[in-house]
Amino acid sequence: MSSTVRRLMTAFVLTAMTLLRNRIALTLFVLLPVLFYALIAITTTDAPVLFALAAVSADTSIEVSRRQEAIVFMGLAAVGFISAFLGFYLISRQTEVSRRLLLCGYRSWELVVTRLAVLACAIIAVSLFSGALLLSFFTPSHIGLVMLGFALVGMVYGCYGLLAGSIFHRELEGVLSIVLLTNIDVAWLQNPIFYTESKNKFVIQWLPAHMPSQVSMIGAFTDHPVLMPVALSILYGAALLVLAVLIFWWRMRILGAKYY
Amino acid sequence: MSSNYTMAANASNSNRLIAARSVSKSFGKRQVLRGVDLDIDAGLTVGLVGENGSGKSTLLRILVGLLQPTSGIIERCRRIGYCPQEALVIDGLTADENFRYFAAAYGLPASRWQPQVEFLLDRLHFSVDRQQLVSALSGGTRQKLNLAIALLHQPEMLVLDEPYAGFDWATYERFWQLAHELREQGTTILVVSHLIYDRSEFDRVIELRDGRLEEVPS
Repeated sequence: MSSTVRRLMTAFVLTAMTLLRNRIALTLFVLLPVLFYALIAITTTDAPVLFALAAVSADTSIEVSRRQEAIVFMGLAAVGFISAFLGFYLISRQTEVSRRLLLCGYRSWELVVTRLAVLACAIIAVSLFSGALLLSFFTPSHIGLVMLGFALVGMVYGCYGLLAGSIFHRELEGVLSIVLLTNIDVAWLQNPIFYTESKNKFVIQWLPAHMPSQVSMIGAFTDHPVLMPVALSILYGAALLVLAVLIFWWRMRILGAKYY
Repeated sequence: MSSNYTMAANASNSNRLIAARSVSKSFGKRQVLRGVDLDIDAGLTVGLVGENGSGKSTLLRILVGLLQPTSGIIERCRRIGYCPQEALVIDGLTADENFRYFAAAYGLPASRWQPQVEFLLDRLHFSVDRQQLVSALSGGTRQKLNLAIALLHQPEMLVLDEPYAGFDWATYERFWQLAHELREQGTTILVVSHLIYDRSEFDRVIELRDGRLEEVPS
């Protein structure tokens, strides 16, 4: 096994272990989807609700159960929030220890790649978990697409968490920035019922959770294609990722010298 | 600059392990280092002293590459072991997992780092369970781990920033016994120290005062 592969594997396994031992992360992982779904189940009815699917066309409206719409919406909110928190945790925790690892021989890209791999695994796990829980409330038209939307909102918000972790030095500022954006975007403005009646829709369309939300909603209630919102979600996440990695790189850099 | 110091700076650099030329560092308007020149040759144990806030840790961070100087040039050997003042270890892992992580960083196979860990932990009397999470360890034990990580790859030069903060007296004495062993093996050591008892341990003492280095006569 080459030294690089050994370093990557060690960093991946040990980063995953620190995450699995983090009680807050594990609690959020399990509790948040359960809590969000339970609140919806308790507080909503099956009364029909009409809303527009922005990613299909301005004129395409569908009528579905209010509870079912809210369940999908809350699944997105839970996955978005957890992914942002995990992204933030993986980048911001113990920045100085990461710099020591770099000083001892790790390369920046090795630490970035292993953290991204751990984050990707966590996002897939939380998307599958939230999707499986959703099935206990109703059976969407395409559960695979609903979960894909969950994974995409996880990717976009995971990258936002990485960005917040790269920018903010203190935990409080980072967590606040995550809570603020996830609440405003994924837990409020992206609700299709709100969106249908809103004005200045372009503001909502440019927020991170817009396209992933559309993927899940389209997949849950229609047979329309989702290629475009999937591609735009990936593009949005990639832009946030590039920004986060550049800032992380700058903060982590070890300065060269003339060597004897 | 004192005459001794000029002499050191002019010495042959064939066995030099670290050199700083006209290194300055400012944080905003506060200038911490003002044109520091430093040469450390192989085989010496050098003490860096100075008052709190005089810039000792800043200088060390610049020497190892963690901090960018405002101006100046650094030359150093490749195999440096750096022990920061604050224990920079991973709280969510056990002591053994920390060793494994840093050994991977150094590129050491298990056959090399595991015997070295046994040797270091024996010398530092690391008596607690190595499978315990680091977050549950006492300050002194974390500091032993912090120091052992810096020594894991058997560096040719050690840069130690108050490595015994949190040590009890017995561990402090063990640290110096270990330092003697390392010196006999040819390791060069630069230690930030506050303790007057340490002075006799050094081949050379330099003091950082008003942002400049001065040689302290032994």
